[in-house]
Amino acid sequence: MSVFCSPPAFSGLTALAMYLLTCEMSTSPSAGLLAAAFMGITPGYISRSVAGSYDNEAIAIFLLVFTFYLWIKAVKNGSIMWGALTALFYGYMVSAWGGYVFITNLIPLHVFVLICMGRYSSRTYIAYTTWYALGTLGSMQIPFVGFLPIRNSDHMSALGVFGLIQLVAFADFIRGFLPGKQFQKLLTSMILLIVGLGFGGLILLSVSGVIAPWSGRFYSLWDTGYAKIHIPIIASVSEHQPTAWPAFFFDLNFLIWLFPAGVFLCFQKLKDEHVFVIIYAVLSSYFAGVMVRLMLTLTPIVCVAAGLALSGVLDQFLVMSKPTAETKAKANAKDSKAYGKMSSPVVGIYSYFSKAFVSGSMTLYLLMFVAHCTWVTSNAYSSPSVVLASRLPDGSQHIIDDYREAYYWLRQNTPDNAKIMSWWDYGYQIGGMADRPTLVDNNTWNNTHIATVGKAMSSREEVSYPILRQHDVDYVLVVFGGLLGYSGDDLNKFLWMVRIAEGIWPDEIKERDFFTARGEYRVDDEATPTMKNSLMYKMSYYNYQSLFPPGQAVDRVRGTKVPTESPTLDTMEEAFTSENWIIRIFKVKDLDNLGRDHSNAVAFDKGLKRKRAAKRKGPRVLRTE
Amino acid sequence: MKPWTTLFLFLSVLSGVFAAKSTPDKFQKFHSLSRSGPVDLDNASFEDLTTAPRDYYAAVILTAMDARYGCLMCREFDAEWDLISRSWNKGSKLDGLKVVFGTLDFDKGKTVFQKYMLQTAPVLLLFPPTVGPFAKVEAEPVRFDFTGPISADQLYSWINRHLPDGPKPVLVRPVNYMRIVSGITILMGAVTLFTVLYPYVLPIIQNRNLWAAVSLIAILLFTSGQMFNHIRKVPYVAGDGRGGISYFAGGFQNQFGMETQIIAAIYAILSFATIALALKVPRMEDVKGQQLAVLIWGGILFGTYSLLLSVFKTKNGGYPFYLPPF
Repeated sequence: MSVFCSPPAFSGLTALAMYLLTCEMSTSPSAGLLAAAFMGITPGYISRSVAGSYDNEAIAIFLLVFTFYLWIKAVKNGSIMWGALTALFYGYMVSAWGGYVFITNLIPLHVFVLICMGRYSSRTYIAYTTWYALGTLGSMQIPFVGFLPIRNSDHMSALGVFGLIQLVAFADFIRGFLPGKQFQKLLTSMILLIVGLGFGGLILLSVSGVIAPWSGRFYSLWDTGYAKIHIPIIASVSEHQPTAWPAFFFDLNFLIWLFPAGVFLCFQKLKDEHVFVIIYAVLSSYFAGVMVRLMLTLTPIVCVAAGLALSGVLDQFLVMSKPTAETKAKANAKDSKAYGKMSSPVVGIYSYFSKAFVSGSMTLYLLMFVAHCTWVTSNAYSSPSVVLASRLPDGSQHIIDDYREAYYWLRQNTPDNAKIMSWWDYGYQIGGMADRPTLVDNNTWNNTHIATVGKAMSSREEVSYPILRQHDVDYVLVVFGGLLGYSGDDLNKFLWMVRIAEGIWPDEIKERDFFTARGEYRVDDEATPTMKNSLMYKMSYYNYQSLFPPGQAVDRVRGTKVPTESPTLDTMEEAFTSENWIIRIFKVKDLDNLGRDHSNAVAFDKGLKRKRAAKRKGPRVLRTE
Repeated sequence: MKPWTTLFLFLSVLSGVFAAKSTPDKFQKFHSLSRSGPVDLDNASFEDLTTAPRDYYAAVILTAMDARYGCLMCREFDAEWDLISRSWNKGSKLDGLKVVFGTLDFDKGKTVFQKYMLQTAPVLLLFPPTVGPFAKVEAEPVRFDFTGPISADQLYSWINRHLPDGPKPVLVRPVNYMRIVSGITILMGAVTLFTVLYPYVLPIIQNRNLWAAVSLIAILLFTSGQMFNHIRKVPYVAGDGRGGISYFAGGFQNQFGMETQIIAAIYAILSFATIALALKVPRMEDVKGQQLAVLIWGGILFGTYSLLLSVFKTKNGGYPFYLPPF
């Protein structure tokens, strides 16, 4: 129940945090309200915060936004209390989500940019050092993190900026005692010395292996081709693919074009907190472009910027009173210190028609935004992934409920401790809905575990069976979409299983063997022997031919005919197949009672004559052992 | 003159006969050739290298270097293969373990490609020895297929797995002194240039508008899917099959290079119209002019947003919303 309710509850807190954060950026109260409303309904965040989603990312985004709010407060006030609170929530974030590295790098970057802009102040110093010292200590309490903050390159920028800000503070202190020229000399030599020492030390430590190189997940963000070659397990996840532009519009609607306008407004004001918004905006839009999943970190800043931009428009156009000569004069006096092109004073809008036109069209866009979010949420994010809906030719809705059917079957018909093996995508669902232990689930980060499953799926039965026995697997579950044309099935994910397994056992599994001589991935008669003998292939097509008239069995996903003969399975038996054949469950046979191997036992049951392996030729020899 | 030629001929024939007879000589011959990188082979020498009595491993890469075949991977990997061969010859290895590295180009060895029924390149064949301490029972070569671009380290570890256990040379990448020197030169040049130009550059670096422009352009590029183009290497535009150009790719997960630029431009217009409405218009003192500006910017905003919605509708067929003009 707590799992079920927490995402929406946290989403409410996120909206609150968003209001607080945006209010720090603008004097206009409407900006915060707009940003909070945007955050509440934008599909980019609702995808994680609908009731029933199992992710802790809903919590993570609340912590992200709130930590940033506290950080801005700390920088503005230069207070140890706010800095300590930032560290506290940062620690919570570390325990909740691996994406905490984003905060770890963004805050130092903010401070670094502030120093480069010559905006160093004791407030920055107090906020940063408090956050860094307490936050690092806090994060080191998390077992998963341990000593990473001082050894891993992901965290080095925070440490580096911590050192830098000490030096800057020292220089600032010295400046008060020395005459200008001497100070300049001292400063230059100090900078050269420190940079040289620091750079040399970093190289030395990296080479000697004290500091680990960038972690693979992080590195794949910069070198976009890296993951594909070196870490198939990252490249295999669909959320780690790059983002095409429709996805941005789909998730953010008209916020996406208010976003640059809001960033521009930040450049107009450019106080310390606006610098933060700008850095965050540029970085996270890069990240969101590289990985679909990181759209999640982009959404908060888009809401802030869009709130700023829209309130900037509405504050001007929603004022009833017309500007008079008096207000003009006042504005003149007030804005005289403003800079740049916008130096002419704000006078206001004269005609009611202009006001009605702009506020009317903005209201229209807002209403469309609400409609868009409702539509996206109901179409894409709220339909649970375990129930598929399709339209029949007459337009009525047809529910395909195979997943639940199969999980219910598992719950009812298997012993409580039966272990299920499936590809890791289904681990959570099996754990949650069928209440059975699984070999790997969605949160498995142990590459070898996943590769083991990949190996079992992609090897011959004789190889897979010992693996299944070793891991006490009772049932194997595969997803097969061939009958229905459901493209997200296991055979389409199969190459990733092969690749991941190949990463660990390159001698036994070879991706090349699954492609025909002409380099095609086929499942029909021309499929390679390795493919045809793989456990996954056999389980998917086992008895599938019996549904069709002889010789006409078709796979609707891959759009090919499948071989006329059904594959044979010796070490497993079919336990359950759902209505539309989407889920197939196989029971792993126990060892044979008579000690035969399984292929012999099956042959015997079929009434085939036992094949003698090879007739012994030559004279009989006495056994010498 | 003539007798000398005959003598030479006789001698060379003799040496050839000896080489074919005794395998150590064969190894010596190829080994001496491979001092500077892998041996360049052709049909005949490939046969010579791989015929049965051999007491050495032969690792031959079958490749197609000529530009006609358009084998990018072959050309990219050539330098890496060189590296493996050099590293092996330099390092110390197990006693008696002999490996010959060779390269057979498609132009010189069409028969070999036919013999092994190869349709792709590059392919690595590793022939185990048939005689000597490391002889294997099956003399069939082990084959390594290149499924994607790989580095020398990956291939080297594959080769090592197929060789007998024991100390083997480490793959050493030569230090590229040229690169270091040129790097330092460029760095110092940049520092000098910066020091000289400092008074002129500083105002540019500190220019707020410049930074704003750079940031906004970056944001527009990233949010219009530029990174997708970069990673997936999508085409810039594609024909529509009727001789025209289709600007927008079909489907939600596809896009063309030009499409993203159009989208970025649309976003830019929309943002700029918003900025104008929020900042420029309220500062206009002329009543008529302000009215006109509001109408123009508001109209542009409305029309462009309508265009954006209609473009999105073509990408996502079931999308129910639209604005009038488009």
